[in-house]
Amino acid sequence: MRPGIRRAFSRRSCNLLRTAREWGDSVVDREAHLKGLMLLGLDGDVGAWRVLLSDVRPAITAYFKRRLIGCEADAEDLVQDCLIAIHAKRATFDRAMPFTAWAYAIARYKLIDHLRRQGRRGTVPLEDSTVLLAEHTVEDGAVRRDLSRVLSILPARQRRLVEDVRIGGFSVAEAAARNGFTEGAAKVSVHRSMKTLTASVKTHED
Amino acid sequence: MKTDDLIDALAAGIEPVKPARLSMWMVAGAFAVAVATVALTLGLLPDLTREMQRPPFWAKTAYTGGLSMAALWLVTRLGRPGASAGLAGWSVAALVAVAGLVGIVELLRLPPEARMDDWLGFTWRVCALYILMVSVITAPLIFVAARRLAPTRPMQAGAAAGLLTGSVAATAYGLHCPEATAAFVATWYTLGIAAAATSGAVIGRFALRW
Repeated sequence: MRPGIRRAFSRRSCNLLRTAREWGDSVVDREAHLKGLMLLGLDGDVGAWRVLLSDVRPAITAYFKRRLIGCEADAEDLVQDCLIAIHAKRATFDRAMPFTAWAYAIARYKLIDHLRRQGRRGTVPLEDSTVLLAEHTVEDGAVRRDLSRVLSILPARQRRLVEDVRIGGFSVAEAAARNGFTEGAAKVSVHRSMKTLTASVKTHED
Repeated sequence: MKTDDLIDALAAGIEPVKPARLSMWMVAGAFAVAVATVALTLGLLPDLTREMQRPPFWAKTAYTGGLSMAALWLVTRLGRPGASAGLAGWSVAALVAVAGLVGIVELLRLPPEARMDDWLGFTWRVCALYILMVSVITAPLIFVAARRLAPTRPMQAGAAAGLLTGSVAATAYGLHCPEATAAFVATWYTLGIAAAATSGAVIGRFALRW
């Protein structure tokens, strides 16, 4: 595997792991659950379809509410719009694709369309579709940005090690193996990196 | 209406569905309308049957027909929430690039004094304009068909639908147009199709909302 790909891959799995740990519900399992319901719904299963719509409802409600600060009243209308769209356009679902990506694209489209109709210029950032599954908050995004800025002062190899151990939830031994360190060297490296990071944050705050 | 009631109502009315795509009847109908428009307003080539036995005619038709296929694929992809243009977009670009290259090679192999005639033919002033005119008549069928899908980027999807309209119109226009040199087709046909795609992008913003 090329290093770039490995890094992107490890960062993604690290994000997934973190979300899974924080919310006690694996994003991967949830996607499989929703997609299973979707496939049943496409074949006309009434029960599965009701469960699917009820299950995505809290996620899209949270998605709209967070992005319509100040006009939360519109959020419920949009949720209904979005559920109707999921229902009416279900034939556009590609069975080879993740359900979340499809539903997220619909929710985002409905949000942009709503903002446009209100005469505001709709600028909705294109996010990873897992936002629908993970209950991210605005603060969560800010923290993540700060975190990656702070971490960016480390050399790439150390950085990956720190991310794996301190964020990704790997043991030191696993992280050492993933990044090509011996276990002892990994321990020392993480320790030094944490010192460097602490120092850098302190100088910024002074 | 309460959201819970809405969910119950939606679930109660569910039926099995097949994957959505553009109705082939509508696309075939659009081609028929385009051919009829060309035949009635511009007239078909007087020596069409003889023309149809020559390779340049088929090369021209293969180009616009190929673009129609690629555009059809592109519209279908962009009509699915969460999917991007991907390979379909590249195949459109590849077809245009190949046509351009063939046109350039053709021009380079001609003596310099013959190149302008080969490139401009007799009808370069009207070619793109006629293709756009035929597109206007063909467009409603294509856009109505595209509304069955769910484009989440209406401008991109509109451009793709315009591209499909333009390629179908250009294929029909090929039955009237006496020119078939690669340089001519790659320039003026492509220009007409591109104009249709650009108009489609603007129209898509309104016509493809759902």
